[in-house]
Amino acid sequence: MLKILIPTMMLIPTTWLAPSKHIWPSALAHSLIIAIFSLLWLSSPGETGWWLLSNLMALDPLSTPLLVLTCWLLPLMILASQNHTSAEPVNRQRMYLMLLTSLQIFLIIAFSATEVLLFYVMFEATLIPTLILITRWGSQGERLNAGTYFLFYTLAASLPLLVALLILQKTTGSLSLLPLPYAAAFPLISVADKLWWAGCLLAFLVKMPLYGMHLWLPKAHVEAPIAGSMILAAVLLKLGGYGMMRMMVVLEPLTKELSYPFIILALWGVIMTGSVCLRQTDLKSLIAYSSVGHMGLVAGGILIQTPWGFTGALILMIAHGLTSSALLCLANTNYERTHTRTMMLARGMQMLLPLMTSWWFIATLANLALPPLPNLMGELMIITSLFNWSWMTIVLTGGGTLITAGYSLYMFLMTQRGPVPQHILALNPSHTREHLLLALHLLPLLLLILNPTLVWGWTA
Amino acid sequence: MLTRVWRFGPGLTRLLRHTQVRCVSQSKPSGMSSAAVTEAHAPAAGSTHGEVSPFVKNPDFHGFSSDPVVDEWNMRIGFFLGISVALVIGGTFIHYLPDHGMRQWARREAERLIQQRERDGLPLIGENYYDPSKIILPTKE
Repeated sequence: MLKILIPTMMLIPTTWLAPSKHIWPSALAHSLIIAIFSLLWLSSPGETGWWLLSNLMALDPLSTPLLVLTCWLLPLMILASQNHTSAEPVNRQRMYLMLLTSLQIFLIIAFSATEVLLFYVMFEATLIPTLILITRWGSQGERLNAGTYFLFYTLAASLPLLVALLILQKTTGSLSLLPLPYAAAFPLISVADKLWWAGCLLAFLVKMPLYGMHLWLPKAHVEAPIAGSMILAAVLLKLGGYGMMRMMVVLEPLTKELSYPFIILALWGVIMTGSVCLRQTDLKSLIAYSSVGHMGLVAGGILIQTPWGFTGALILMIAHGLTSSALLCLANTNYERTHTRTMMLARGMQMLLPLMTSWWFIATLANLALPPLPNLMGELMIITSLFNWSWMTIVLTGGGTLITAGYSLYMFLMTQRGPVPQHILALNPSHTREHLLLALHLLPLLLLILNPTLVWGWTA
Repeated sequence: MLTRVWRFGPGLTRLLRHTQVRCVSQSKPSGMSSAAVTEAHAPAAGSTHGEVSPFVKNPDFHGFSSDPVVDEWNMRIGFFLGISVALVIGGTFIHYLPDHGMRQWARREAERLIQQRERDGLPLIGENYYDPSKIILPTKE
């Protein structure tokens, strides 16, 4: 654990002490080496549930894929941000990198925490750098509103979680995740217990986000700079899913009935956000709503508490992290050239930037869950286990899959195909950096086809 | 920004036409129309809003830095560590990871046992998971 955490912490002095010409190459090299070493986490020693166990941190089949994704994402964020921060004074660039690094540190500790309260503190801590990224480096005036929505939605939902965790600590004496699955089931009968149940889950449901409480997400995704959007879409949403998967184990007998409205809300959210996507004009907003839809499916998979549901949720979280981040990077390449996110203003890109179209195509196919990509495998496992729970969900999930394919194709055809608009005269050609960025997003996704057991979670 | 361009009509767009480079062609344009070979020249008279394409100064711009040496090295670092080490060597490492949870062993063992039982004519699996003679039932109360 420390051999990843300490180098990540050392990235902060690296960014502040490196000469200004070398900040970005050294940050990129440093973070890529950390990402390479994070692959070592995938070699678990054997049958024990947890490995690399220490006082505060450990790894298990659930947290390891998410941790590797987090470590992989930092170099990608650095690659993506290099261009739009190049016009800023050097110290501001260093500040930007420091925010990304501190976010990374909090996320690593959060995912590897064995104590739920440590996870909670880190969960909250990630809000601060993200807020600063959105409100300071966003491009439009709406970023202030976006930051406010983001902070207060998540805070308001997670304060009940703090209370619920303190109650749990009082009842069980320990919040360590290691013995928690084996603790005796609590007698949860009173209304207060039901409120406690809701308090445990609400923070994660808002973070995921669940459909009714998703308003912060399109704002935050759209207004954030590219690195902020990437980390939001790829990892911060998964914090919600991960937290839910950890907490489900103590919420036991109540979940059977109480989760019902949330499952329905999540599935309805898939349909609704998919429909909204079909009518979007703003490209980043479309991708943001697409994230809500996919995470709704993940939430449904987690709430029904079956092995396939959990496995599908984890696979979909990893695959969606890579896909959504790739789509946001693609949207950013458009934005850096045309300075607009309106899809209608940047059409026919295939004629102008044909190599980028191939990346758009792969990312779009991943988003609409083409087999044999892990996106489909995760979605299929969730849909199947939901069908097992209730046959009626197939209407919602099937319709949702259809609409997802619809808006993904709509996004691709709108940005890539068609005539080039009259007002686009010449655009800068695609940078090598952008191709590298997208390759590093999509090649791991394609490689996951060959070895999905890495991201199976506990079933493995 | 682009909507303002739209409103002012083609005049301003023609001025802006000379700002950005689509691609650099080294070959002489032959008798073919110059529309097939896009122009590559420094910003001419027009107002460019100060946006000079970095490809003008450095035709091999990779997108990392305006200094060509740093740009080149940044690209090399990114590709080497990102693709050659992380994806290729990392991928090989993951490929050769031991059989996690003994799943592949379990499949091989199951196939071996099935073949063996088919050869010996034994049923593929016994009806009882536990040996019935070892089960101690409570007496009728």
